[in-house]
Formats: sequence, structure tokens, C-alpha cells
Amino acid sequence: MLQKIDAIKKHFEAEINNINEPSGLEELRIKFLGRKGMISNTFSMLSEVPAEIKPLFGQRLNQLKKTVEHKIKEAASKFEQKSRTESRLDLTLPGRSPGYGGRHPLLAVADEIKDIFSSLGFSIEDGPEIETDFYNFEALNIPKSHPARDMQDTLYITEDIVLRTHTSPVQIRVMEKQKPPIRMIAPGRVYRRDTPDASHSPFFHQVEGLVVGEDVSFADLKGIINAFAHRMFGSDIQVRFRPSFFPFTEPSAEYDFSCVFCHGKGCNVCKGTGWMEISGAGMVHPNVFEAAGIDSEKYTGYAFGMGIDRIAMLKYNINDIRLFFENDLRFLNQF
Amino acid sequence: MKITYNWLKDYIDFDETPQELADKLTAAGFEVEELYPLVKSFSGVVTGFVEKVEKHPNADKLSVCKVSDGTESFQVICGAANVAEGQTVPFAQTGAVLPGGFKIKKAKIRGVESFGMICSKEELGLEAKSEGIWALETAEKPGLDFYQLLNSNADYVYDFFITPNRPDCLSMIGIAREVAAFTGNSIKYPKQSLCEDSTQNISDFISIHIHDEEGCPRYAARVIKNVTLSESPEWMQRRLSAVGIRPINNIVDITNYVLMETGHPLHAFDLSEIRGSEIHVRSSEPNEKFTTLDNKERQLPENTVLICDSERAVAIGGIMGGLNSEVSAKTKDILLESAYFAPVRIARSGKKMGLSSEASQRFERGADRNAVPDALNRAAYLMEKFAGGVVVSGIADVYPQTIEPYKVVFQPDKINRLLGTDYSRDFITDKLQRLQLDVSENTVTVPTFRVDIKKGVDLAEEVGRTVNYTHLPVKEFTDIHYDMPVSSVEKKLRYFTRNMLELNLREAFTASMIKKSEAELFQNGGHITILNPISDDMTTMRPSLLPGLLKAVNYNINRNMNDVRLFESGRIFTHYRPGQLPDQPYSLAMVLTGKRWQEGWNAKADMVDFYDIKGYLESFLAKIALDNFQFILYDKSSYLCDKEALSLEVKNQQIGVCGKIAADICTRFGIDQPVYAFELNLDLISDVIHFERHYKPVSRYPYSERDMAFILDDSIAADSVLSFIRKNAGKLLHDLQVFDVFRGGNLPEGKKSAAFRLRFQAPDRTLGDKEVDKIFRRLIQMVEKQFDASLRN
Ligand SMILES: [Zn+2]
Repeated sequence: MLQKIDAIKKHFEAEINNINEPSGLEELRIKFLGRKGMISNTFSMLSEVPAEIKPLFGQRLNQLKKTVEHKIKEAASKFEQKSRTESRLDLTLPGRSPGYGGRHPLLAVADEIKDIFSSLGFSIEDGPEIETDFYNFEALNIPKSHPARDMQDTLYITEDIVLRTHTSPVQIRVMEKQKPPIRMIAPGRVYRRDTPDASHSPFFHQVEGLVVGEDVSFADLKGIINAFAHRMFGSDIQVRFRPSFFPFTEPSAEYDFSCVFCHGKGCNVCKGTGWMEISGAGMVHPNVFEAAGIDSEKYTGYAFGMGIDRIAMLKYNINDIRLFFENDLRFLNQF
Repeated sequence: MKITYNWLKDYIDFDETPQELADKLTAAGFEVEELYPLVKSFSGVVTGFVEKVEKHPNADKLSVCKVSDGTESFQVICGAANVAEGQTVPFAQTGAVLPGGFKIKKAKIRGVESFGMICSKEELGLEAKSEGIWALETAEKPGLDFYQLLNSNADYVYDFFITPNRPDCLSMIGIAREVAAFTGNSIKYPKQSLCEDSTQNISDFISIHIHDEEGCPRYAARVIKNVTLSESPEWMQRRLSAVGIRPINNIVDITNYVLMETGHPLHAFDLSEIRGSEIHVRSSEPNEKFTTLDNKERQLPENTVLICDSERAVAIGGIMGGLNSEVSAKTKDILLESAYFAPVRIARSGKKMGLSSEASQRFERGADRNAVPDALNRAAYLMEKFAGGVVVSGIADVYPQTIEPYKVVFQPDKINRLLGTDYSRDFITDKLQRLQLDVSENTVTVPTFRVDIKKGVDLAEEVGRTVNYTHLPVKEFTDIHYDMPVSSVEKKLRYFTRNMLELNLREAFTASMIKKSEAELFQNGGHITILNPISDDMTTMRPSLLPGLLKAVNYNINRNMNDVRLFESGRIFTHYRPGQLPDQPYSLAMVLTGKRWQEGWNAKADMVDFYDIKGYLESFLAKIALDNFQFILYDKSSYLCDKEALSLEVKNQQIGVCGKIAADICTRFGIDQPVYAFELNLDLISDVIHFERHYKPVSRYPYSERDMAFILDDSIAADSVLSFIRKNAGKLLHDLQVFDVFRGGNLPEGKKSAAFRLRFQAPDRTLGDKEVDKIFRRLIQMVEKQFDASLRN
């Protein structure tokens, strides 16, 4: 009887060595381990086995069953491994994109500017875009007949309500409700009566800064603009101040940065001058302090402005401001 | 304002090169916008002598000329009427290159050969428009290089941007004073040594009466008799052309020349047209009309300063002369006006008439009342010299109230405090005196030409300018601790934007001004409109962010980018408020159209639908932790589909809408695919959410999940079942989802099946099955009863 077990074992070993695909292996499993397979059949013969070898027979048969199971499993895993290497994924195919979004480039630059001033200890203030003539002009020392009103061609809602031409009115609103020291910036959308073209837009973004305290001087103003220039464009940037005129500051200045493209050597962007005009600044005019209820004998202060659009254009080398509000996805998706 | 380098040297000595001068004046606050050589480069042009002029055989208006270059004669066809034998002319020979690169070649004109061209000033780039060729006043030897001849004394033109506070620098002398400040040299004032005819006195010719002293504080005049109208001298014409003023005749040119020199506007009348030998200065009456010398009849604004004779108006004071008294070919005697008009009055009238002139630009910014006699004498001197006039003795000068020069308290310490400097009193005094500011013990007397200096801070600027801003000290930024209030609006806006960006969305930026017809689609009336819009496209302030975003959708679809998802946050402008600023809340909107995701080789994509936009909105609301909101079916929107729109409400107040843009609105924006959108009022949302949040503990114990499915009436909204379960489940219900909804199949007509998955969890223990089952069974019974539903198996 025990020879029969050896015969099955030999039979199995002969067959398993000839199998080269998974389906053959399954056939083999049924042939030996199936309900009516050779091993099951042999178990059913157990009653006919003489009692003295019964335990040994049972033990041997169980051992055979285990060996067969193990070998089939082993063979199966070999096949699986083989098939895995054969149908390898084409990893060069593109991945499944979750899509991506992002901040508008102009507003990303605005964030950068705001973060720089935040880190310099400035608060960030907000105010209405539709403003009264008082806050936009009168309080800033620009009375009705002032020729400087022509410098900022204004859009009117009513005779006394305008689309703010700068964010300076926010300065007045802050000074009215808060005592010095004041250190703030006011970023936001502003409006001018300009027909849109590559370098003009009827709406654009500005940041105005204001610092008021005792003994705040023009030297401090130069210092803060330097600090900003270096943080925004790098520590090799030079800053130049030129006298200018704004009704709300005295002395007034225009400030320029050395050209970020040619490092001051002169190129197309800076029209060969090596300088890029940034914006205006100056010491707060006593009339402005008085309009906002601040003692102009006790306090001095400086104010400065900058165009966010212009800085963004310089930063990304964009030559047409209209790209910012066309919302062309081919443009936006670059950021 | 333009000046030339050589012309400036008439009034001040300096050694700076043209570029150095530009740099120094820019540093002093006079920005040089352009600097270019007066004579643009050309070559191959020589002085030519016109030997012979004959009519062209085949053309009436052409002449066949013989022009000599000194060694040879050339046949040249000329089209100018003023060409004549014996003239010395600029002769462009074959091979010459004129300004702008125009090359002269041998040509055949109407069958006759031409070897070169006789040039006009225009063709040599010397003036904008010429009538006829340039015949030189003085004969020159033929064959001289013309470019060298013109450029022997190379001149340069500066175009300055003069800020409105410095009208005094709209003149050669004004700029010369600035040069004096940095060179220390003194001004060379122009000659005005008159030979008055003492046999005649001004009072015999004119009497002046000012009836509007506020509008005209000073009015002066001279009479110049027997002038001969002709061209002004060549040098004067060339200078005027160089600074952009077209030469007209000697009288007009002289007034313009003196204007450029002194900055003081003058006006010349034909004396014979001044009736009654009287000048009356008065303000205009309502509905008065007047014809200015450009032959336009103008409606005069009330309170316009008018210059009149005994019968009629003859000029608008300080703005423009009249046609009726203009200097003309028959003029013999001149009444020359030099006056000072009040800036506010000139500005107001000029703006109302939309009329601006060289004169009005100076008067409205502020002229110098003390320059009145000097300008008058200088012009009279030039008319005597270059128009053959006889100057009648005396000036008629009415100046009732002498205006004293302005005095400013001199406080060097305050100047130092403002500039952050420690200059000595002497140093500051020297700087101010170089600008002709008169410094005494503690007062600075401001010369009348400096209308901008009113306060101590103005003196600080003068010191800063003359030192040069670049050389002023810089105080390195130090972090002084200021206790600044939290910038709440900025913080909120960034919070909302960041949460949208975290949903993988792309931010847009759209125009605030839109068409009225577009605004009407989104808000019925009450629009905030602009009085003086730039164009019809930008008349109305946006009442919603959606029109701008729909334009962006259209823009991209037109360029074959059909899958668009954009959001924007910004102010919208909704309502007027009497006596206050209009409502201008911050808004947040999103648009969604096209495929659900980017289609790929292994990712097929469907088109987005209502549940996509709602999903975005729900995700956003979850991120900002808005509680207690309700979605209400909404069919009152003018721009959303009645059947696919929700109103987002908190405590019965609408704070936003969400839905499908109505098809006709899409069509209006040129879009022919479905667009979904939401828009939220951020100001209202800010009031109902908590920006500061506390962490809610996460349970460490497992949850138990139970599903229930009901057959219920199709009209019952899923949300009402959800709220009902949530309300009645007790605090162990941790999560509730709808996981299946279907109609049809073997369900009866008008019924649907809705399946809910409930998760129960306790923060402090593992829930037992019995406990959960009890709640679960109770809920099933309640739902069945409440909604007349039956449980499905
Ligand atoms: Zn450059």
C-alpha cells in the first residue's frame, strides 16, 4: 500500500516538471488534490488498509498532500512572478493629472510686497474703492481747482464721489482713527481715466505706505525704500531719489531702481538709462496732517507709493499690462 | 517744455556738456524726458546756387532749374513755387541721404531728367511743415557741406517734464535760475534798452480800467507804432521751431519768443481795432459768447475774465485773443498787453471751455506779477529792433493792490529734522540764497516767481534739491516696535482666497467696470454708474463678479480652451446710499464649465454638472467651517436656471447663490456650453464664521456603521431627510451620507429609493451593537412616519 503513495509522488513530480503555464497547473491541482483526485481517492482507501500500518499510511499520505500543495503553490508563484515581469507597465505614459490652480500672478506679487512690509512691522489697511472727493483729494491737499487734479484723470460717480485714484485716502482714514506712531501700507485697486493699451489700464493696483512718528525723516524714507528694494529684487539693487512734486508730500521725490535686467548698464527695458522708474514718495505735507487731525508740529512722517502691476511686470518680464486681466489660461497656468 | 542748449547759454554760463546738464537738472527735479541733437543727421547736401529757372515743358507746377555746386551745374526739377534765380539753397545731390534715411537718386520727372533735389526745411528735419524750398537769407559760397554749416554750433533740444508746482520753470530764465543754483553763476537777463519816442505818450493812446480786480490784479500795456509785418529773423524762427513753436510773423514770434524767455504770456492787439482807446477788464455775464482768434465762437462760462474795449470784448484774459482784434497783414500799430490773472479763475474758465493755451497753462499754475513790466519792455525792444516799430513813451500799468512777496519763518532745525541731516545754518542759508530766496535772521522772503513756496517744509525741499537727493543721508531701517492693530480685512481676504486655492482652483482678475447692459443681467436697477466713462464698455461698476468671469470663460473658449474653472474675489458695487458711499462689499465667485477633469489615455471625463459646483461650494464651506447654513431651492435669480439654482442662507439671510447659469445669459456672453457658478458675499460670511477655531478631539474608538434605504415620494428633498435624521439621531451620530438614489426599475411611479449610511461613534468608549441598533431602529420608525416612507430590504 505504501508503494502506492510513492507511485503517486513520482507521478506528481514527473507531471509538475512538464508544466509551463498556469492553466496546466490548475489541471494538475484538480488531478491530485481535487475532490475526486488521486490523493482524495487514496484517503478513501484508508478503510482497506491493514490496521497495523494505518497510522503510518495516514501520516505518509498527509505528508504527500502537504508536499503537493506546497509544490503547486511554489510553481504558481513562479508563474505569477514571470507574468509580472512580462506585462510590465509603460511608465513613460503620462500620469493621471489631478489638475492644478494657483494665485493670480499679479496678486501673488501683491502678497509678496505685503509680506515684505509686514515683516518690516507695517500693518496692512483696507479702504473703499469708491471714495469721497474729500478723502481722495481735499484731505490730501488737492483742492478743487488744483492743477494736480489734471495729473490724475479721475472717474466720477457723482460730483463728490469718485473712483479712488490712489490708495492714499486709506492713510487719512487710518490717521483719523489712530494716534501716531503709525506704520501702515494700503494695498488695493485704483482707477484712472486711461484708455487701455500695453502700458495703461483704467484699473490697476497700488500700495501706499505711511509712517508717522516723532522725528521721522527723509533719511528714514530712503532707508525703508532701500530695504524694500533689496528684499524684493535683491541686495545689489541701487535706489535713486529725484525731486518731484505731489501735493500731499513736501519734500517730494520720485524713486528709481537700478534696472533689474541689465543691472544698470542700460538696455531696452530701461531705455538705455540703467534706471527703472518705480513711483513717488515724500514727507507728509503739514496740510495733510491737519486735515487728518494730527499735530504737524509734533509729528513728522513719510509716505510712499508703488504700482504693483509695474513691479509684477518687471518681475516676470511682462510687457503688456492687459495680460493681467484677460484671464487667458495659457498665461495664468504659467504661474 | 522744450529748451535748447545754446539758447540757454544766452542767460547763464555753464561748462556742463549736454548730457551732464540733463543729469544735473534731472537731479534737481526737472526730469529730462528727451534729449536730442537739433539737426538730425543728413549727408550729401551742399549749398547750391540757382543759376536759371525755366518752366517744365510738360507740367505747369514744376520748374527746370540749373543749380551750381561751385564746380559744376546740374539740371534739377523743382516743384516749389518760391524757387527763383539767384537764390542760395540746400542742394541734395544724387547720393545724398536725408534725415529718416531717404536717398536721392537720379530721376526722370515728366520726361525731364533731374540730378538731385532742392530741399525745404521740412525735408532737412528742421521743422514739421514747410511751404516751399528754403532760400537762405544770406548768400553762401556754393558747395559747402550743409550739415556742417547748420551744425557748426551743434545744438541740443531738451524736453522737460515740469511739475505743476513750478510754472516759473516753463521758461528759459526759470531753467537758467536752476542752473545758477548749482553753478553759482549769475543770470544774464535779456536786453530791454528801449528808445522810447518821447513825443508821444501812452496816455494819449489807451486808458486801462480794471473792473474785476480779483480776476486781474494787474494789467499793463505799451503801444508800438508803425510796425512792419514780416518774417521774424532767421535765428528767432529757428529757435522757436526747435522748441516746437511754429513761426508766424515777427510780431507774433516776438511775443512767443519773450514767452519762452521769461515765461510771461503777452498778447498783441491791432491798436486800430481797439475802440474808444479804452481797455476794460471785467468778468463775463451769463450766456455771453465770444469768437476767439482760431475762429471759433465760444460760450463763455460765467465769471470769465474778459478784456474789452469801449464797445465789445476783444480777448479772453489769459487764455486766448479775439478774432476781431488780431494782428493781421494790415496792422500798423500794436497794443501790447502784459497782465497778471488769478490762477483759479483761469483754470476754471479754461476747464469749462475745454480750452488750454501756452498762456493759460502758465497763468493757471501761477505767473509772476512782478514780471509784467520786464516782459513788456523786452518785447517792445524786440519789436523796435525787428519790426521797425516806434515805442510810445511810457507804460500804462494798473496795479491797484501791490501784492507783497511771501515770507516764511526760517527754522534750520526743522529743515534738518525733516531731512534727517545736521547742516549748519550757514550751509542752509547759502543753498537758499543760490535760489534767490532772501534769508534774513528768521525770515525767508520768497521771490514772486516762486509760487510754490509757502511753508517751512517747502524750504526743506529746496535744500534737499540743491544738495541732491542722492547725497542726502540714508538711515538704515531699524525695527522700532510699533503696536499696530491687526489688519482684519486683509487677513480675512487671504483666508478665503487661500481656501479656494487649496481646492486646486485658478484665480482670475477681471475688470471692475462693465457695460450697463451686462450689469442689468445681474442686478435689476440701482447700478453705480460713472459720470465720465472711458467708453461704452466701461460705464457701470460691476454688481457681481460673474459678468467678468463669464467674459473670461468666453475668452478661453474662443481660443479652444473649453474646460475652465476660475474664481475671483474682490469688491462688487451694489447700491447707492443717500448721503453715504455706495455699498461695496467683498465678493467671492467661481465659474465652472467643460470636462470634469483633464481627459487622458486612461481617464475618460464627463462634462461637469450642477453637483460639481455644489461640491466645490460645500468643500469651501467645510474648509471655512461655516455652520448652520441652509440650501434653499431658488427660482428668483435673473441669471440662474430656475430648476438648477440654490440660495445659501444663514439664519434666513441670503449669503450666496449657486447654480447653472441660464442659457440666455450664456448666449449673451457668447458661450454655448453649460456654465455653473456660485457667488458669495464675503462681508456677510465673515460675520457668521469663526476665524479662530479650536480643535475638536478625534475619537480613538471604532465606529459602527448602519445603512438604511427607504422608498419615499419623489417630491421629498434629500436634504429634508438628512436634516431630520441629524436632528433626531442624538449626539452619537458622527457622520451621515446619502449613498444611493434611484427611480424607476420596479419602483412605483412617483417614488424613489434613497439610501443613507450612518456612522455612530462615541468619544469615550466602544459602542455596543445593542445600543446602536436601538437608535437605528428608532430612527427608521421616525423617518417612516415623518415622510410616509417604507424601509427597503
Ligand atoms: Zn536695463
